[in-house]
Amino acid sequence: MKKSPMKLESSQTISGVDFENYFQPGSLKEALEIKAEYGRDITIAAGTTDLFVAYYERLHTIKNWLDLSKIDELKYIKFSEKNVKIGAMTTHLALKESEELKGKFPVLQAAAADVGSPQIRSRGTIGGNIATSSPSGDLLTPLLSYQARFKLETAGKSRWAAAEEFFTGPKQNIMGPKEILTEIEVPLPKNDSSGYWIKIGRRKALVISTLNFSLVLEFNKEKISRAGLAMGSAAPTPVRLKKIEEMLVGKSLDELDHRKLGEEVKKQIAPIDDVRGTKEYREDVAFETMINALEDIESRRG
Amino acid sequence: MAKLDVELTVNGEKYNLKVGSQERLLDTIRKQLKLTGTKEGCSVGECGACTVILDDKAVNSCMVLTAQVDGSQIITVEGLESKGGLHPLQKAFIEKQAIQCGFCTPGMLMSALALIKENPQPSKEEIKTALEGNLCRCTGYQQIIEAVEAAAEEWGV
Ligand SMILES: Cc1cc2nc3c(=O)[nH]c(=O)nc-3n(C[C@H](O)[C@H](O)[C@H](O)COP(=O)(O)OP(=O)(O)OC[C@H]3O[C@@H](n4cnc5c(N)ncnc54)[C@H](O)[C@@H]3O)c2cc1C
Ligand code: FES
Ligand code: FES
Repeated sequence: MKKSPMKLESSQTISGVDFENYFQPGSLKEALEIKAEYGRDITIAAGTTDLFVAYYERLHTIKNWLDLSKIDELKYIKFSEKNVKIGAMTTHLALKESEELKGKFPVLQAAAADVGSPQIRSRGTIGGNIATSSPSGDLLTPLLSYQARFKLETAGKSRWAAAEEFFTGPKQNIMGPKEILTEIEVPLPKNDSSGYWIKIGRRKALVISTLNFSLVLEFNKEKISRAGLAMGSAAPTPVRLKKIEEMLVGKSLDELDHRKLGEEVKKQIAPIDDVRGTKEYREDVAFETMINALEDIESRRG
Repeated sequence: MAKLDVELTVNGEKYNLKVGSQERLLDTIRKQLKLTGTKEGCSVGECGACTVILDDKAVNSCMVLTAQVDGSQIITVEGLESKGGLHPLQKAFIEKQAIQCGFCTPGMLMSALALIKENPQPSKEEIKTALEGNLCRCTGYQQIIEAVEAAAEEWGV
């Protein structure tokens, strides 16, 4: 482990404030001990693609760094009969390139492939995407649709949080000051399933989405046995639209009234006005997207 | 106050450096190593002017802490040219007139190199995806994409 006091150097820094420590543990155990000692006074660095934007020109205000990049035990995608387990330090690129993920969780894989640019995908991690908890985080909607859960660890203890309980506000979540997000577990759909993912932005690369949408439907014979519908940038947190999910379950695709479901989606979301789009625009997009999603799934299932 | 010791291999040469905890890879490359081919545009991961290859992958060096990449292999645009002259990618950029002001070019070249090293015969779509994180204000992307295609086809990398 490296622990070395030093002076700030970066051209991003303006003042002469000294920072204290840079920790680069090689194991999760050490990382948890450091986090337990420093709590909120230490900043976790994963791929730093969110941090460098959030702390633009004030990196020097970060006093203590906890760099997780050398912890190999947090980088994996492991499949079992029941689920996939993904280490928090797994990059978007690794998710994008996993053929097995593409086969079993196509919506999650497609979302990872749509994050930022190649440069961002080779550094940015799933753990960082979740911990940032942006309403527009691209992996968050698929994780909600697939009913993922997150493992939060402190030295000596761990707990699991369901994705839908995790996000509490824009860039806010339930993580405590001594916790590190270590693993993401996603259950395999029980029946045959179809999914739809789309991210609607003004330009394909780099734009943090104006709306992202993920739908996963499980079928038992031709009836929908489970539905996972989630949207990002549609409310202060990424949201699961449970009311609509309930309207889908028990029906076959040809029994669904697409326009009515689209209208319902519009009612359920609480979009925000910002530079990337107005509230009305997002509502209309959500309406259209719901209809497109159902049509697309229908056409693919023939 | 002490600094962190970091070992980097840049364009095949090993460097033992001392870096601050907030020093970006971009600063290390430009200021410590004086390799000024790598450019700083937006500083926040949007433009790709600072792209270098880090352990075979294109990254924005403005978004990487040098301390994080201790022990890594880095290629910058200066690593392209050899005793044999310009690299096929560089020649293709000139031939296809894919350069105007040139500010984006080092980053474009690095993204293209990372692509071709992994996928020697990329499709047009794959080239577009590989260059998604690189902005150019002057040339228009068409010539740039053609240059990458030409380099891959005619010379192979
Ligand atoms: C140009 C650009 C384009 C982008 N485009 C997209 C996009 O299209 N879609 C998208 O979703 N995002 C996008 N992002 C945002 C970002 O790249 C992603 O959210 C990425 O997944 C963040 O991961 P990271 O490893 O870089 O996180 P970091 O920046 O290292 O960390 C982010 C935050 O999470 C905390 N943290 C990180 N890991 C953990 C952990 N394991 N446990 C607890 N806390 C942790 C950090 O302390 C920090 O507060 C973009 C960013 C940039 C700069
Ligand atoms: S300067 Fe790094 S991406 Fe623009
Ligand atoms: S040639 Fe000027 S920015 Fe690309």
